[in-house]
Amino acid sequence: MGTTTPDLDEITRLDETPQADRPWQTVVWNDPVNLMSYVVHVFREYFGYAPEVATRLMLAVHQEGRAVVAEGAREQMELHTQAMHDYGLWATVQQAPA
Amino acid sequence: MTDERTTVMEITLIEGAHLADLVSQFLELLDEGGSSGTRPPDDPALARLVPDAYRGDADAAREFRALTASDLLNRRRDDARAVLDDLSPGGRGLHTVDLSPDSLAETLPVTLTTARGRAWLRTLNALRLVLATRLGIEDEDDHDAGDRRFAVYDWLGYRLDGLVAALGR
Repeated sequence: MGTTTPDLDEITRLDETPQADRPWQTVVWNDPVNLMSYVVHVFREYFGYAPEVATRLMLAVHQEGRAVVAEGAREQMELHTQAMHDYGLWATVQQAPA
Repeated sequence: MTDERTTVMEITLIEGAHLADLVSQFLELLDEGGSSGTRPPDDPALARLVPDAYRGDADAAREFRALTASDLLNRRRDDARAVLDDLSPGGRGLHTVDLSPDSLAETLPVTLTTARGRAWLRTLNALRLVLATRLGIEDEDDHDAGDRRFAVYDWLGYRLDGLVAALGR
């Protein structure tokens, strides 16, 4: 095969999505207080997620300690985070990891 | 006439009186804690209601807090007042000292619209968050059977769970 080895700069560029292109995320964190039924209710009511989706996200929060529940523009993720705080859930905003 | 669906929740007078007491204490806590500024509230129970929205970015967390904290805490007040209102049959608040032994198990039907149901859910959950902070609950297994506040905490969970189910039907 006649392919040439890409140079180091090119590899770096392929591996890293430029920071500006990475979406923002709303992350919900596990806590010992919020009931599973309540968390599912919040995900269904606020995001309009189907019961299966809301339950899967709740279990991810519960078992893995956190779950990304939405992704998009930073302002939108901040609105979602404020809404989660309004429900009493522990949520943060972050940029998607590289 | 409105066709908005409602849910009727029955609560015994003794439960209602204790809940009204908790909600009143919660309102006092909200009033003491202040609701403005860019720093987290000094009281950890209030701080839990307005957590940092950014990890590892103090400036962004501060800015977010300045924009949202007072709205969030004001909404807590409105919700709590609505719940107290629902626990005041005939405009009179329920108090444990006013209840005769015979009336403790009588039930108070509370009719909740969807919006009112949400205020109840948020308030029951907020009361659990405040109690959990006071009790130092950091783990789901943290429990002290000898401390009756845990019974109150569990009861709030039982009521919250039931209301989630009732409103979801």
